[in-house]
Amino acid sequence: MSYNLIAILMFSTMMLMLMTGQRVFGAIGAVAALAGLTLWGVGGSDIPFASAMKLMKWYPLLTLPMFIFMGYVLSESKIADDLYKMFHVWMGPLNGGLAIGTIGLMVLVSAMNGLSVAGMAIGATIALPELLRRGYDKKMVTGVIQAGSSLGILVPPSVVLVLYAMIARQPVGQLWLAGVVPGLMMAAMFIIYISIRCWINPSLGPALPKEERIFTVREKLRLLRAGILPLAIFAAMMVPFVNGWTSLVESSAIGAMTAFAAAVLKRRMNREVFEVSVRQTLAISCMFMWIILAALGFGAVFDGLGAVKSIENVFIEQMHLDPWTILILMQLSFLIMGTFLDDTAMLVIVAPLYVPLVQALGFDLIWYGILYTITTQVAYMTPPFGYNLFLMRAMAPPEITLRDIYGSIIPFVGVMILALALVMIFPEIALWLPNYVYGK
Amino acid sequence: MPPVASLFVRYVDRLNYGIGRVVMLGIFIMVGILLWSSISKTFFLPSYWTLEVAQFAMVAYYMLGGAYSIQLGSNVRMDLFYGEWSNKKKAKVDAFSVFCLIFYLGVLLYGAVESTAYSFEYSERSPTAWRPVLWPIKTIMVVGVFLMLLQAISELLKDVAKIRNVEL
Repeated sequence: MSYNLIAILMFSTMMLMLMTGQRVFGAIGAVAALAGLTLWGVGGSDIPFASAMKLMKWYPLLTLPMFIFMGYVLSESKIADDLYKMFHVWMGPLNGGLAIGTIGLMVLVSAMNGLSVAGMAIGATIALPELLRRGYDKKMVTGVIQAGSSLGILVPPSVVLVLYAMIARQPVGQLWLAGVVPGLMMAAMFIIYISIRCWINPSLGPALPKEERIFTVREKLRLLRAGILPLAIFAAMMVPFVNGWTSLVESSAIGAMTAFAAAVLKRRMNREVFEVSVRQTLAISCMFMWIILAALGFGAVFDGLGAVKSIENVFIEQMHLDPWTILILMQLSFLIMGTFLDDTAMLVIVAPLYVPLVQALGFDLIWYGILYTITTQVAYMTPPFGYNLFLMRAMAPPEITLRDIYGSIIPFVGVMILALALVMIFPEIALWLPNYVYGK
Repeated sequence: MPPVASLFVRYVDRLNYGIGRVVMLGIFIMVGILLWSSISKTFFLPSYWTLEVAQFAMVAYYMLGGAYSIQLGSNVRMDLFYGEWSNKKKAKVDAFSVFCLIFYLGVLLYGAVESTAYSFEYSERSPTAWRPVLWPIKTIMVVGVFLMLLQAISELLKDVAKIRNVEL
């Protein structure tokens, strides 16, 4: 049997196993173990455990539990309430202002957090009920929160970029900086989209009525203090890291500690918050780790088959495609896979396949990291398999149906794909800041 | 169900719950180690052991906590079809597909035991400045995978009980 055929067989077996609804890591791991055993006999039986040792040496992976913990502390202790109030008062008088404020809130939450879970939780539990009560269109606000929270993986600190950095062997610092401008650009594009929609049809996002706007300038200024917290947490994490005093992992621990301390100081750290955040950190970290572990085994077998080389060969030698066509095809296939593969697993399986190919084509790997992350963002949101969709379904109030959730993301996915295209055409959007800071 | 099955399920679940409840506090150990690392690096001499101790702590965290995370139901499944099924149908499909999980964990355990035996025999050390011996962490990994395996079997028994409509 040719190696290409084995690779296809492995991939389709994995898809089939996933369809049964078994735990994702079990399905991937079993295919990896079985393929290893049949291909290389007893020697192949070491593959799953060898990936466990490899995983241990991936030092930056330690940021994962740190950021998860931080996210849960922030969302469970509700220290973001004040932040929401700040945006509420400042942006309320505009048409669609609260939705715009929610995007702003999401950007700040993203800057304190490396995943989209915290933004999702804060958005769905604090912003969403409030927006619905003000008569905002439910479809639009559901989309706003999903799209906004997905910024968590693009705006630094970002866990997805950490995973990418490990696979592509690129510096995390540069990748994080590269995510800043595209992240802000995407947030701005969301805001423009909301403003236009609400300008054409103000009933989608009515402005706050006059009697609710009786805040004095003094009160308004005092509310701005809520913004100090995220800035302080962000600074506590990023300043030592950018200056090279601490490593990335150490900074993430400082961030986790700062968030925890902030919750304690604000007297929000009670038994229940503590219990939920510590337990969920274990649950989510284990989920990630075991999927990564299984996917690494899968990737090792794939590597052993030389599948990457043969795919490269098919594209370049046999089909005579030019690099850009291949890149676009890759992003498209990534988007399609993202709609029905598990997102974390995809990250760990697809990246080792694509990254060497991108490098062989002569593209910048930092730049590709950003394209990769935006594509992952889209994958997070597209049905039938997306974390954000699941989270939304679990957290949203009952009047929001599954149909609303699925329908709500369409325009935002459109905006994200536009952002993806912009970053593709103008790599400077991503590369300007890291080049400026690191003086390349 | 034979009484031995219900005893197995009860004790395995209780054991893994207990271990998980302790291990989940490990997040603070990791934070502590890394904070010490940044403090010592900034103000005193950098410690050369923190990096590896933190790595070992993380491995112990997810290996020993894995079984509890299965109990919590936090492992994602692709619920394209699964989500629509009745509880009974879920149990039926799971009772078969869980064997691939058991198979994977079995192969993982086999590799872990072999590698740990090697570490004991040659007192294998990590190739870093600190050069810690590797058998302690590998032993923890063996234990962790074994606990996961027990938990997977316990899940299988629970599914079988659900299909037969009996109490465990």
